[in-house]
Amino acid sequence: MNNADSNRALLEGAQKRWLTIGVAGALLCAAGGFMNAEQFFRSYLFGFMFWFNLTLGCLAGVMTHNLTGGDWGIATRRQLEAGMRVLPLMALLFLPILFGVPKIYEWANPEHVAHSAILQQKAGYLNQSFFGIRAFVYFSIWLTLANLLYKWSGELERNPSLAIVRRMENLSGPGILIFFLTSTLAAFDWVMSLEPHWYSTIYGLLFIVGQGLAMLAFMIAVTTWLSNRGALSEAVGTKNFHDLGKLMHGFVVLWTYGSFSQFLIIWSANLPEETIWYAHRIAGGWKLIAIGLAVFHFLVPFFLLLIRNNKMKSNILVKIAGLILFMRFVDLYWFISPAFNTNGLGLHWLDLAAPVGIGGLWLATFYGQLRKRSLAPLPDPFAEAEQAMERA
Amino acid sequence: MSTHQTTTSSLHGMMAEFASAEELLDAARRTRGAGYRNVDAYSPFPVHGMDEALALPKSPVPLFVLIGALAGTALGFGLEYWVSVIEYPIMVGGKPFFSWPAFVPVAYETTILLGGLTAAISMLMINGLPMPYHPVFNVERFSHAMTDRFFLCIEATDPKFNREETKKFLEGLHPYQVSEVEE
Amino acid sequence: MASVAHSAPETHAPDEVVHPLIAPGNSYKSITEKISNVILSGKTPRVWFFWFGIAFLFVNILGLSATVLLLIGTGIWGITIPIGWGFAIINFVWWIGIGHAGTLISAVLLLLNQKWRTSINRFAETMTIFAVMCAGMFPLLHTGRPWLAAYWLMPYPSTMGVWPQFRSPLIWDVFAVSTYLTISAVFWIVGLIPDFAALRERATSRFGKVTYGMLAMGWRGSARHWHHYEIAYLLLAGLSTPLVVSVHSIVSFDFAVSVIPGWHTTIFPPYFVAGAIYAGFAMVLTLGIPMRKVWKLEDFITMRHIDCMAKVMLATGLFVAYGYGMEAFMGYYSANTYEGFMMINRMTGPYWWSYWSLIFFNVLIPQLLWFRSIRANIPALFWISMSINIGMWLERFVIVVTSLHRDFLPSSWGMYYPTVWDWGLFAGTIGFFLFMMLLFIRVAPIISIAEVRGLFAETRHGHGKKHGAEEVAA
Repeated sequence: MNNADSNRALLEGAQKRWLTIGVAGALLCAAGGFMNAEQFFRSYLFGFMFWFNLTLGCLAGVMTHNLTGGDWGIATRRQLEAGMRVLPLMALLFLPILFGVPKIYEWANPEHVAHSAILQQKAGYLNQSFFGIRAFVYFSIWLTLANLLYKWSGELERNPSLAIVRRMENLSGPGILIFFLTSTLAAFDWVMSLEPHWYSTIYGLLFIVGQGLAMLAFMIAVTTWLSNRGALSEAVGTKNFHDLGKLMHGFVVLWTYGSFSQFLIIWSANLPEETIWYAHRIAGGWKLIAIGLAVFHFLVPFFLLLIRNNKMKSNILVKIAGLILFMRFVDLYWFISPAFNTNGLGLHWLDLAAPVGIGGLWLATFYGQLRKRSLAPLPDPFAEAEQAMERA
Repeated sequence: MSTHQTTTSSLHGMMAEFASAEELLDAARRTRGAGYRNVDAYSPFPVHGMDEALALPKSPVPLFVLIGALAGTALGFGLEYWVSVIEYPIMVGGKPFFSWPAFVPVAYETTILLGGLTAAISMLMINGLPMPYHPVFNVERFSHAMTDRFFLCIEATDPKFNREETKKFLEGLHPYQVSEVEE
Repeated sequence: MASVAHSAPETHAPDEVVHPLIAPGNSYKSITEKISNVILSGKTPRVWFFWFGIAFLFVNILGLSATVLLLIGTGIWGITIPIGWGFAIINFVWWIGIGHAGTLISAVLLLLNQKWRTSINRFAETMTIFAVMCAGMFPLLHTGRPWLAAYWLMPYPSTMGVWPQFRSPLIWDVFAVSTYLTISAVFWIVGLIPDFAALRERATSRFGKVTYGMLAMGWRGSARHWHHYEIAYLLLAGLSTPLVVSVHSIVSFDFAVSVIPGWHTTIFPPYFVAGAIYAGFAMVLTLGIPMRKVWKLEDFITMRHIDCMAKVMLATGLFVAYGYGMEAFMGYYSANTYEGFMMINRMTGPYWWSYWSLIFFNVLIPQLLWFRSIRANIPALFWISMSINIGMWLERFVIVVTSLHRDFLPSSWGMYYPTVWDWGLFAGTIGFFLFMMLLFIRVAPIISIAEVRGLFAETRHGHGKKHGAEEVAA
């Protein structure tokens, strides 16, 4: 009882703190929006995409855990569910982007379209109303998935039974498939179409891997925070962090693999309509960021995570996770901003205010959701049945 | 043979046979606890916890593999650089002589090749394999060691080794059988 | 949606039964005996001789096709301009993909601590080695004069002073495939050492004892040996995992780094890797299902293994379908004339049948795997995996032939007609693969005895749990 009370106080405190930061950030952004509407929308898209990726990563994490199980998910299940419950907020926060489409996307500018045969050909897909309809469909799908999974896990908590586990599994299988498709299309719509002439078939996958990586790093961070404050059951220990660390290591490698493959294929073929994307991203100061990504998004975390001890000690692991979360910001910035600043690095203060503001609101909602249910691991009737059988 | 049994020089050690991995693990812990150091356990599959029970030092294999793998990277990349930039530079497809993105795949493969070979070869060398002869095979019951029996051997080189006392000690562990291992 | 909130009493349907990884009623001794009896009992099932005979026939066809090819040249094949890459490359990619399941099962699942790998890893690793051998034959034969390939492909100081061209993906391929064969073989041999020791002990003939004794290299199961052995094995797994991904990625680079529409697309590396695993698991099931029946290995290759493999096939198959989808979508979205034409030509051009049969065999049929009842139905699984074997071959046919047969200039358009020698080589390698697998089953344990015993000890005495606790403490 006492523990539950202290947990509630802890989470309430965090919620309030982040809400303050979020509101302050939102006010700053609003002020920035009045001063420079164009820059506001660009920075807002960047801030939105980071937190959106994290939210979708949590949804995918819940579904993956429903299908595969594993120690990593036992320790993080509640946090993952709380993260996926931020989806309604993200749907709401998407509205400004919908209003800002003409200011953000070249294909929504009739003048540009008039001068480009390619954009005219794409107009059937890249136009404002279809863009809005698609976004509505994506969010409806994600919200339905998240709501059903959350409701059923509540049932599982009250009345553990294999049937509910099966039901969650049955939804998660097709759910992951739908997630792959919608997430890919959302990445095409919201980010890849910033440079509407350019295309790459691996792009959606790069985003999905980024979502997984952000999710894992955030889970390590928040789970360490909670467990250091004694909010989690004693069952959460080294083994869980070791597994999370291994997964994060895998995703770091996957990110590198996808990014390098795309680069090598485009570099080798050397077709101007494709290389332009990289040309913009190594122009001026962007080159430094590109090298920074190779070093701090791959080399440093890769070698640090090779060492077993770094994965098992949550207080070391959380530092690596922090680095990765930061590099996710940088990577996304390197994806989005060069579309507007093709000649070189152009950092605006709104590029910092937007992610912080949205992040404050995100985290406040996250802690609010986390408060609603116990932090104890979900019951797992399937594993119990299996253990009973193995003992027999 | 019986005349030699008075000296320990012709003995490799004293061996006890157990029926399960748990008994073997327990026996290993107690043997180590009793002060014996040159002890080895034999089992048809790796018994978890045996490394700690026998206080085996950390294996150097990972270090060797790391060195092997890094050497592989250096050799692979070095070869590509030397061939394409220094020894015989040819312009192909408008690419620079030093085409580092194109050099990554081969350097990657040589890293794994040398790392993997090092893992296998260093494991065999450290274990002294192939080894055509070893005294433990002289024990008749050891012909079950690869199927379902578990053996613990206190070697004669152990400073505490004493034919009678060691035998008594091993018998105290309630094994299936205790036998002398001849050199 | 409201209807799902029922609160009916729990009923455990039959499919809720959790299948064990080792059938109940076994012991260390019975495990060793059952697996080694496949080799040592001296009773070879008649069906073995039947298939061995057929496989031997096809090995001869392979020999004949290769001999004629070397005597006359690659002109006997159906390749022409613009289709300069035909069966040879299709079969190469097909075979190397099949090999990938072995490494995935033995290495990736080991790292992920998936216990269901244990009784199928040896079999799958063996498949890897023979499949890579089959794959390797094709590029070598495609050179026409394999004895000269050494100086085209290997970096050694020749008298002409010429070196391989390291900017070419074909050279990357040489390094990838030869590394893959080497490391897979090393991994396999390291895994076999303790089992050879078990066979040395159980062999009754003098010849068997001596042979297995030499192969076991004097292995005696010492704790000190296991200590280094386990770490080396785990490291080999750790190295094999990125290796298996890199090999098929590099195979995909053979296509993707070019500028040919249909080849040059960035999704190729992950989509090839997923396709390779997909094809590999299909082949494991195609061979594993009859094998477990003939040699009565149902105790070790249980329904649990089969269900897990079916799920992996479903997941990788869906990713492959995702790849097809991305290609088709980009054909439209890119608004690129060549990309768009390539896609429409694939679907409606002269090779439309290959594209749509690919979709049928590789995408539609495997959707049956969603159903739990299908995953528990052995004959259905056998035929689904057959369908995937065919589908994955068609995938490479579509990629190679439909992308090449419509060149940029309509004056260089053409069609591809494989000859009897193309088919002969292809069928010959299938025969060779079967031949080698059947031989292997007769001489070495097809299931890892040492690992099954270890798994048995863990599940039996809860050692796994204890080990976990110790790992944490360490």
